[in-house]
Amino acid sequence: MTPRAVILEVLLRALYPLMLVVSVWILLRGHNAPGGGFIGGMIAVAATAMLAVGSGAAQAQRRMPLGPLRLAAAGVLLSLASGLPAWAVGSAYMTHLWASVPLGFTDLKVSTVMLFDLGVYAAVWGALGGLCAQVVSLDESRRGDEDAGSAAERDA
Amino acid sequence: MAVKGRGISRLGLLALIPLALAVVAAVHGHRADPIPAWILVLPWSPTLGVDLTLHIDGLALLFILLICGIGSLVFVYAAAYMAGVPDRARLFVLLLLFMLSMLGAVSTDNVIALFVFWELTSLTSFLLVGFKHEDEASRRSAQQALFVTGGGGLVLLAGLILLAEIGGAYSIRALIAGHPVWIDDPRVPVALALIFVGAFSKSAQFPFHFWLPNAMSAPTPVSAYLHSATMVKLGVYLLARLHPAFGELPMWQLTLTAVGGFTAALAMVLTLRERDLKRILAWSTVAALGTLVMLIGVPGDGAPVAAVAFLLAHALYKAPLFFVAGNIDHATGTRRIDDLAGLAPVMPWTAAAALLAGLSMAGMPLSFGFVAKDMMAIAKEGDGGFAWVGYASLFVSAVSVAVAAVAAIRVFWHRGGRRPVGVHDGGWGLIVPPLLIALLGVAFGLAPHLVDPLIRSAAHAMLPTAEIRGLVFDPTDRAVLGALALALAAGGTIYAFWDRLHAQFDRLPWLDQVSTAAIYRALVAAIPKAAAITPRLQSGSLLGYTVWLLLAVVAALAAALAAATVAWPARELPSLAVAGASALLIVAALAACLVRDSFVLLLAAGLVGFGSALLFLFLGAPDLAFTQFAVEVAFVVVIAAILLRVRRLDLVPAGAQRAWPRIAIALALAALATLLLLAAVGGPLDPALAQYFGAQAVPQAHGRNVVNVILVDFRAVDTLGEIAVVAVAFVAALPLLRLAYERARARRAPAAGEEGR
Repeated sequence: MTPRAVILEVLLRALYPLMLVVSVWILLRGHNAPGGGFIGGMIAVAATAMLAVGSGAAQAQRRMPLGPLRLAAAGVLLSLASGLPAWAVGSAYMTHLWASVPLGFTDLKVSTVMLFDLGVYAAVWGALGGLCAQVVSLDESRRGDEDAGSAAERDA
Repeated sequence: MAVKGRGISRLGLLALIPLALAVVAAVHGHRADPIPAWILVLPWSPTLGVDLTLHIDGLALLFILLICGIGSLVFVYAAAYMAGVPDRARLFVLLLLFMLSMLGAVSTDNVIALFVFWELTSLTSFLLVGFKHEDEASRRSAQQALFVTGGGGLVLLAGLILLAEIGGAYSIRALIAGHPVWIDDPRVPVALALIFVGAFSKSAQFPFHFWLPNAMSAPTPVSAYLHSATMVKLGVYLLARLHPAFGELPMWQLTLTAVGGFTAALAMVLTLRERDLKRILAWSTVAALGTLVMLIGVPGDGAPVAAVAFLLAHALYKAPLFFVAGNIDHATGTRRIDDLAGLAPVMPWTAAAALLAGLSMAGMPLSFGFVAKDMMAIAKEGDGGFAWVGYASLFVSAVSVAVAAVAAIRVFWHRGGRRPVGVHDGGWGLIVPPLLIALLGVAFGLAPHLVDPLIRSAAHAMLPTAEIRGLVFDPTDRAVLGALALALAAGGTIYAFWDRLHAQFDRLPWLDQVSTAAIYRALVAAIPKAAAITPRLQSGSLLGYTVWLLLAVVAALAAALAAATVAWPARELPSLAVAGASALLIVAALAACLVRDSFVLLLAAGLVGFGSALLFLFLGAPDLAFTQFAVEVAFVVVIAAILLRVRRLDLVPAGAQRAWPRIAIALALAALATLLLLAAVGGPLDPALAQYFGAQAVPQAHGRNVVNVILVDFRAVDTLGEIAVVAVAFVAALPLLRLAYERARARRAPAAGEEGR
């Protein structure tokens, strides 16, 4: 129904997953190199915004895990919860815990910081991605208006 | 709204909560004599010096027992009274909230916490008075109660803060303990005056007395609870609580006795003008509160005991009388005393409760009211300088006797008038609460030693320096009996001539003219006039808002820069990358200034953002650059979508008209921002934080990216707050955007249907 940018839509089939992979990579490397939850989340938001322009706002929202509202809420809750294990070991809330898992060839470091950053990522993606998609949907409804506009003027 | 029937709502089970608390309080009160103070420290915001220290001494315990004891019966009564009212659950929620606020207010030791609980009681009272929110008069009364008590609370906050600053402590105990040091401070009278305004507005003292009778539009259980037994006594509580510090000040004694005495006398005069049983009781409540305030102001060892005893006596007779008024309203549908007569045969239980409560109110022997009156007589004997207090209270006693007679005798036993048809007592939920409280009022009169430890402990909290004698009196004392006889004679006369007096007072309309209620109405009427300023500032034009916002920023920046020293930085050649990014910035900014089309303008603005992101990247802030890139993308997409829609609605301003003021503001802002930057660069940079985070990032947080480590570890709680704000902003924006979307669809749908797509 609505006219779409066909080239963008085709391009996005490859670009959208790629952007998400990059965003997760940025999220994971954040602790030691430029990156982190907020930046990763913003890249995911950009991916969602592009998908909304190319393939429609509804499609963009569908392809966010949990949907925008729940994703944002889950992110905030995850960050909130990541500070709780500290209580179990008698430290102050949000004292992050670290552990090393030996994998043979290298040690994998896991920590509650990762959970916190993942929560930031999800909250930013859910809230701002959802916002972008909703705003783009306004524009979609406008495109429909163009046909209806003349009819409405006739009625008035 | 008279709902007939014997139903009682299951919500009455909520009464178990205050009942349990009352039992705990009573057990605590019996543990030892004198009652030990119970102190519990709960840190709240230690860095701000606000904690939730609970300090439960005799005075607090007396109030807790009143709040929970009468509260549990109010819940039972309300469950029966409100049976069948659709949204009664709301009333119970509000009553519970109110109860908790009251408990907090009387047990906290921190003045700020006291203020918070104080205002919470005002807010819950507002919602309870306005419970019948479809009713215009009810809403007006609720608003009035909120303005007077809530506004008074704000004045009180100023007074409490000033007091705490003078005394150097926010703990009431510490303030009282240190009062010999600060009591002579010249700012004390100011603080005291502010606290008086707060206490007087809460306890309906002149000139704030008018709100209480109007608050009678609340459902009767609420009137009985808030407006006779508990909330209105909060002002009295505060005065009693601060009495150990200020009791010796002449200003304290004179203000309290004068205002309290005058309020009591005035309220009794105004009682005579009323025909509505509930309003009559309300004015006599104002008089009782005046008497309490007056007693706190009377110097001497006997006054605190009298005040505490009267406080208890008043709660024990006024709450049942309100219940009685509610029962009459419930059964007959009216509260006008002209329409009520001879109810005793048809409502025997209610009549019995009214009679018992009336006995105590009139101060008849063998009731606790009599004990309280005795203590008051002893308190007044002690001091010659306050002899006039005795005359004021004689008048108040006489009218009290008359009011008691009206409530307990006239409506139940008076013959003549129309006999109500088909009227009967309500269910047990309507009968037991008034009877039980009124019986307590008599039981404590017969055996005062039951409450003597409580009264003594409460009085001790008001006057820690003196030896409190407690409820020591001689029931056959001639002076006491003489005063009682005089009050009974005068009260009987007033009762006999009630209708004629009423007719006389009704012919005095000037009483309405000079009342502070009229002043209040004038003040409220002035609010819409003051509101005329708002549309000038809030024009509805985005351009107008932006102008105001930027002007404020310009003013703030100019003020901040007035003291700063600005020096031109040393010249150094920028790298090629920095120069390139700067060139991009400059070109994009110039383009933004010159283009007319708003869409191109958006792209130019986006380019400015990309240019600054490049600058960040080359100047060693890759995290910031990344973020800036990503934000810029989202920004351009969102604004583009909005702009497309706004253009469609022709909301883009014509633009060309009077560009010069806007250019001037923009130039001023640019100049100030430049100066700010120069000042920031020119000044010495404190490296302490950077060094700390740089050194600690790896050992403490196991990360080499200092920026991210700060975000997720060192300042993680800040970040948590920020993402919560982002999520909440989205939740708030969602309905607005959906609304706009739905509207656009609705407009499109019929047209699309016609064309068959």
